[in-house]
Order: sequence, then C-alpha cells, then structure tokens
Amino acid sequence: MLETAVFFLFATVAVTAGLAILLSTHIVRMAYWLIAMLISVAGLYFLMGAYFLGVIQVLVYVGGVAVLLVFGVMLTSRQQAPKLRPGPGEALWLTIVAAVLLAGLIPSILRVRPEQSALVAENSVADIGHSLLGEFLGPFELASVLLLVALLGAAYLARPKIPVLGAQQKKGTTAL
Amino acid sequence: MMGLTPYLILSAILLVLGIAIIISKRNAIAMLIGVEFILNAAALNLVAFSRHGVGALSGQTAALFVIVLAAAEAVVALAIFLNFYHTIATVDIDQGDQLKG
Repeated sequence: MLETAVFFLFATVAVTAGLAILLSTHIVRMAYWLIAMLISVAGLYFLMGAYFLGVIQVLVYVGGVAVLLVFGVMLTSRQQAPKLRPGPGEALWLTIVAAVLLAGLIPSILRVRPEQSALVAENSVADIGHSLLGEFLGPFELASVLLLVALLGAAYLARPKIPVLGAQQKKGTTAL
Repeated sequence: MMGLTPYLILSAILLVLGIAIIISKRNAIAMLIGVEFILNAAALNLVAFSRHGVGALSGQTAALFVIVLAAAEAVVALAIFLNFYHTIATVDIDQGDQLKG
C-alpha cells in the first residue's frame, strides 16, 4: 500500500512536470521542471529496487545534463526568445497526435500479462559491475569510445571561430 | 507489490508528453528537454521489465547505457545549438532553413 502511494506521488510529479513544460513559456522554468521529472524518475528506480541506477540518474542527469541545459539557456537566450507556444492549428495537430498515440499505447499495455510477479530486489552494485564487464563488455567499451568522441566533437563544434587568427599570429611570433 | 502495468502506463504518458514537447516548442533547448523525456520513458520501461521479466539485470544495464547515450547526445546537441546560435544569433529552429556552409 505504501509502495502504491509512493508510486503515485512520483508519477504525479513526473506527469505534472511534463504538462508544465508543455504549457510553460519560460525556458528556465522548463529546465527546473525537467529536474523535477528526472528526480521523480530516480525515485521510481529506487522504488523498483534499482538503487544504483537511481543514484546514477541523479548524478548524471540532474547533476550533469540538467545543469548543462541551464548553461545552454544562459549562453543562447540573450536576444529575442523563440516562439514557445504553438498556434491554434499546431495545438490541434498536437492534441490529435498525442491522443492517437495514447489510444494506441494504453490498450496494448493493458493487454500485456506479465508472466512473473515482481522479483525480489537482490541485485547489488557488484552484480551490475559483473554484468557490465561480462555480458555487456562490448557495449561498455563502445560507450567509452562514444563518450570520447562526444567530448572531442563537442569541443570541436563549440570552439570559438576567432582563435584561428590568434594561433597564426602566435605561430608567427614563435617563428620570429 | 505493484504490477508491471502502472509503470508501463506512466512510461507511455511520459513518451507522449516528450513527443508533444518536441512538436510544440520552437526553442531548440526546449526540444532537447522533450528528448530527455522520451529517453527517460524508455529507461523506465527497461527497468520495469527487468524487474518483472526474463533477464535479471539486463534491463538495468541497458538503462545505464541509455543514461550514457543521453548525456553524450545532450553534449553534442548543445554544442550544435551553440554553433547555430553563433551563426544566426537565435535558437529558433524555424530560422535554420538555409543549408549553406
């Protein structure tokens, strides 16, 4: 019974955050609602016994991605804000798309009968570590390469355009 | 113990909310927020299935990879948006309709 109450608490927060982002016109408020959604999903992970995943969710998402988004807002929202509210025609299409998707998804979910009842949470961090370095070793190494590529790509894409001139001047001075 | 169905329904609602955010917003960063919603819905599904299903820990490990991919995607997307902003001084994606080098 307590589990159901906690689930509905977190689920309400997550759905409220989504609706608030949908209706909000203020980008920083959207980022904070995103943080609320991420924390409530982390709470759901804790509820399901995935403790390590919940911690990682808070660390990486709330501590990394959400802060990155806020930084992105600060760096880009100096001038006229883009349109954040859809026009009436767009809102109509949006409602139709959302309604059709939900009408397709919810009945198919309700027809699913899980074969097992919930497993008792006996998994530990050590088990996840063994799984990562055993069964999922290939994807694990690929993920490390991907992170390196993302790091280099982001640094390359976000570099300022001017320092090319400065580098040439510096090269000239060292040649002298 | 709660069943699988509430988690799946919540995940479906989060997915639809993410898609709605992506469709309705014109700000690139707000669209990125919608993408995060969709990725979280997928990861929630994976963890719920791993609790109720076949592979004991595969779902959790896959959700871990989803988080890693989401972080990498957010970094690269923000770098692209910064570039976009330096080029045309806005993050309104409707302005990005010219494909010139």
